[in-house]
Amino acid sequence: MIAYILRRVFQSAIVLLIVGLVAFSMFRFVGDPIDNMLGQERTMADVERLRVQLGLDQPFVVQYFKFLGNAAQGNFGVSYRQGRPVATIIRERAPATLELAAVSGALAIIVGIGLGVFTAIRRHGIASNLIMSLSLIGVSLPTFLIGILLIYLFSVELDLLPSFGRGETVMIGDWSTGFLTESGLKALILPSITLGLYQMTLIMRLVRSEMLEVLRMDYIRFARARGLSERLVNFRHALKNTLVPVITVTGLQLGSIIAFAIITETVFQWPGVGLLFINAVQFVDIPVMAAYLMLISVMFVAINLIVDLLYFAIDPRLRIDGRH
Amino acid sequence: MSDFPQPAAVKPAEQGRLTRLWSSDFAWAFRHSPVAICSMAVVMLLVLAAVFAPLIAPHDPFNPATLNLMNGFTAPGTPNAFTGEQFWLGTDDQGRDVFSTILYGLRISLFVGFAAVLLALVIGVTLGLIAGYVGGWPETIIMRSADVQLTFPSILVALLIFGVAKGFTPVEYRDQVAIWVLIVAIGLSDWVQFARVVRGATLVEKNKEYVQAARLIGRTGPAIMLRHILPNVLSPVLVIATISLALAIIAEATLSFLGVGAPPTQPSLGNLIRIGQGFLFSGEWWILLFPACTLLALALSVNLMGDWLRDALNPRLK
Amino acid sequence: MLKLTAASVIALSMGAAFATPAHAETFRWASTTDPQTMDPHAVNAAPVLSFLNNVYEGLVRRDRNMAIEPALATSWEPIGDGQGWRFALRQGVKFQDGSDFTAQDVIFSYERASSPESDTSSWFAPVSAVTMVDDFTVDIMTTAPNPIFPDSIANWMMMDSGWAAANGAERPSKDTENFATLNANGTGPYMLSERQPGLKTVLSAFDGWWGDDRGNVTRAEFTPIQNPATSVAALLSGDVDLINPVPIQDAARLSQSPGVKVVQGIEARNIMFGFAHAAEALKFGDEGAPNPFRDVRVRQAVAQAINVPAIVQTIMRGAALPASQLVSPEIRGYVPSLADAPVWDVEGAKALLAEAGYPDGFSFGLKCPNDRYLNDESVCQATVAMLAQIGLTAQLDAMPVANYWPELRADNFDMYLLGWSSGTFDHEHPIRFLVATPNEEKRLGSWNFGDFSNARIDELLPMIQSELDEGARNAMLAEVTQIYQEQVAYVPLYVEPLVWGVRDSVEVVQRTDNFFILRWANVN
Repeated sequence: MIAYILRRVFQSAIVLLIVGLVAFSMFRFVGDPIDNMLGQERTMADVERLRVQLGLDQPFVVQYFKFLGNAAQGNFGVSYRQGRPVATIIRERAPATLELAAVSGALAIIVGIGLGVFTAIRRHGIASNLIMSLSLIGVSLPTFLIGILLIYLFSVELDLLPSFGRGETVMIGDWSTGFLTESGLKALILPSITLGLYQMTLIMRLVRSEMLEVLRMDYIRFARARGLSERLVNFRHALKNTLVPVITVTGLQLGSIIAFAIITETVFQWPGVGLLFINAVQFVDIPVMAAYLMLISVMFVAINLIVDLLYFAIDPRLRIDGRH
Repeated sequence: MSDFPQPAAVKPAEQGRLTRLWSSDFAWAFRHSPVAICSMAVVMLLVLAAVFAPLIAPHDPFNPATLNLMNGFTAPGTPNAFTGEQFWLGTDDQGRDVFSTILYGLRISLFVGFAAVLLALVIGVTLGLIAGYVGGWPETIIMRSADVQLTFPSILVALLIFGVAKGFTPVEYRDQVAIWVLIVAIGLSDWVQFARVVRGATLVEKNKEYVQAARLIGRTGPAIMLRHILPNVLSPVLVIATISLALAIIAEATLSFLGVGAPPTQPSLGNLIRIGQGFLFSGEWWILLFPACTLLALALSVNLMGDWLRDALNPRLK
Repeated sequence: MLKLTAASVIALSMGAAFATPAHAETFRWASTTDPQTMDPHAVNAAPVLSFLNNVYEGLVRRDRNMAIEPALATSWEPIGDGQGWRFALRQGVKFQDGSDFTAQDVIFSYERASSPESDTSSWFAPVSAVTMVDDFTVDIMTTAPNPIFPDSIANWMMMDSGWAAANGAERPSKDTENFATLNANGTGPYMLSERQPGLKTVLSAFDGWWGDDRGNVTRAEFTPIQNPATSVAALLSGDVDLINPVPIQDAARLSQSPGVKVVQGIEARNIMFGFAHAAEALKFGDEGAPNPFRDVRVRQAVAQAINVPAIVQTIMRGAALPASQLVSPEIRGYVPSLADAPVWDVEGAKALLAEAGYPDGFSFGLKCPNDRYLNDESVCQATVAMLAQIGLTAQLDAMPVANYWPELRADNFDMYLLGWSSGTFDHEHPIRFLVATPNEEKRLGSWNFGDFSNARIDELLPMIQSELDEGARNAMLAEVTQIYQEQVAYVPLYVEPLVWGVRDSVEVVQRTDNFFILRWANVN
């Protein structure tokens, strides 16, 4: 078991190093790396100092590790567009995205699992079929269209919810939160629905198909034959076994919410790192792109690692032969 | 010995391949599923419309010399107040006919979608075959790379490839290469599922007798992979390809909507929707609605086909 | 299903329970462009100066009708025979950090604003020296008689020398940031209480302000909203009280929406196309080929090919005013006799091109911003189509404004779009910046990116600047205008409309220079 954990951690480290390599290549070879670090207004003394510091005449590998070292200390260079240190910009905007992602994720999981179980249990009902048909539309509608339609319906026509931004936020130390104000909470609703809808649909369909498989299994039939109530059968036995593969997929999907936030943030002008990234791509603001890439990778790799370890802990089959 | 009359034995091998296909279970299921027929019909219709766009479209929306600005913002079906011209689906802010623009936009959307899936398919199937058949180091490298890439959502990969390509391309050429970069970006972000499925299927097929027989008579690895194994792993690939197509089309629309996809000189459905969004509240609803409906119809039909295919080809649900 | 309904019921009831009157103390406004700095001398751009007009003040300022009135100076008079101006400073004025405003600060602000690091240095081209007479009197000496000098410094803002020294901000910083980029200390009616670049900027009332012409806004929040549809939605739902600009296409709908009104006017900003007049070869398109825009017939052909009335009608929805000169009719020095713009004539344009040696046209690069002027990208796209009709293939490169100015300064264009608003409300202003031959020492032509040059205009300009007789001045301006029209230095298109969207419960004053003066706003 220790071997498994060590191997996964080692793999994660390799992934991070590769990602770091990609980010470093972008930084070094696209545009001028000195510009990337200092911005346009600089003195010759600054340039010289940085040239030595970055070791631009030294072998690739050395430069690469210096870059990683800088990144580990939080020095990602200076944004072209804003002329400010990238780390500061990201730190300011990260809470917005993280809060949005958390709410969307929670929404997707709760509603997704709930609907998935419902449509599996009542497989042939009208409600079930309706939900399944609607879910297909949910998967076929691009996220941005969903956002636009929601804004039009709830904000412009019905005037119930705000159409842009985070509302009032409260600073707790370095973290600006929208959870503590009414306008902040209202502002979260439409964007999190937009962001979570795709994941919710996926989770729902996954839970449904997994549960249908499980419900067909012999041990369920035997449980029913033993006289257990439907509720016990469904929830204690079927659901638990359904959730095992669902967790893996869900965990991975949730990581991608952070990336899909890019689209939602653009439609709702949500001031998070997603909007920052898309502006960086439009501007070819390499430092911001590289920093975003590295930070997101760390997050994804961490999530994957946790999910894998969790999976390992839950599924006894893996522990027995130590391979998967 | 039997006195019962024997049914006329039509040996399957003697029938033509098309006839065989038509009378197979698969085709029977298709013919009797209204969902499959409808969605297939819609997809064919849209593909044909896109292919024959130059013939069908009443105007060429991308030849700037033919545009008349005064035609701008004409409502569908009503004559323009200044020029008197009529347009089925109205015009946009530059006087372009929305119907023609949708047809040409469909071309880009479909072209990018199909090409990206084809790219993903070729890469994924090839790597999957190699991983499954050869095993060893190649398998480890390929599957680990797949894992690494799976860690990241495809849109992020696509955006990155696009951003870096933009950084490397001089400004004058950006519009021309945009479409190809889009195809590569979406295709490269999607090969993994093909590889995984094909590897799994290859592992199963590898140990079957016909493969061992082929090896005995001296066929080499690539020949075995291509001629023997590949045809047998195609059916899950088909399902994935269909679903990937829907995803690729949506991905392209999303990237274009974000402003990092198709350039304004070759607008796709995504660009049209982005332009249309600006006019939604001011009353020129047709600039958004028609491209959005077209996109939805396309994605929905492809998704429905994919869903149906998956159910039809899944032996466990029979 | 159940869970979904429950969730939405909870959400809705939460919304109802927490509903508070939306605009109690705070005034919220939004625009597409975030002021890129809080430093009044770093960037000479309207979004920055408009915003900072609420925090900093100058010796003079403009009133509701754009006339010059006293601000930090109570009066001024010419010295001698046009050797300069003497300003009497207002006493008892405090900066927001408590320091006193004295002549020392005026001297310091002059040095700062005219330094090479400042973007506003060309305002001080006529100035030879600024001297302190006493604590509350300052002399500004000019190299030549300059009757309109006080008009030209309405946006020159006073900074406290002590504060700047204490915070290392003695000089402005254009591209990286220093203390003054993120913080402000002015004498104006509002203080900067929060600044998150690109996200939110908050102003709160300064109780120690010397003036009394102010409304009831005690706190104001500015948010940049890049997407016009989002800003319209925000106005309709009450999240903001004012948006500027309203996308033209939404103006009609907004004016009919309950709770919202549209305040419309004409801005003193002319939109025009400029050319690369001096470049030897084309930089884009038929790259390397001899530059066709050096030939006045080619420029005339372009002017005749652009159907300005169609642009005004369709893209601007009839809200803009076709222009014939570099200023609008309201500006002092406009020449009524030269009010005719080139008539749209495709055949005539083609003939001119053929005459100039381009019967088959040519291909070139057109540069455009996409987030600075109203519908700027649409106008450029329409122009591409119109030029295609006479055989010219324009490769359009539209970019955000922050990338745009550096591209123009680096001469990376064949033809470009520009908008100009006369800071002095006088025709001489654009002539000095856009038409005079570029001369760094004399600080002339700093925005004449195309290097247009005409000896007679250069000769007349200083005479215009020092001429006291209105009649003679106007005659000289007429001659200059005739020259730049005939030479097609620029192709004037139209005067931009001003469209603000405002909640009914709010009253604001709209000035022709599109500056939003917060102290004139009232929330009911």
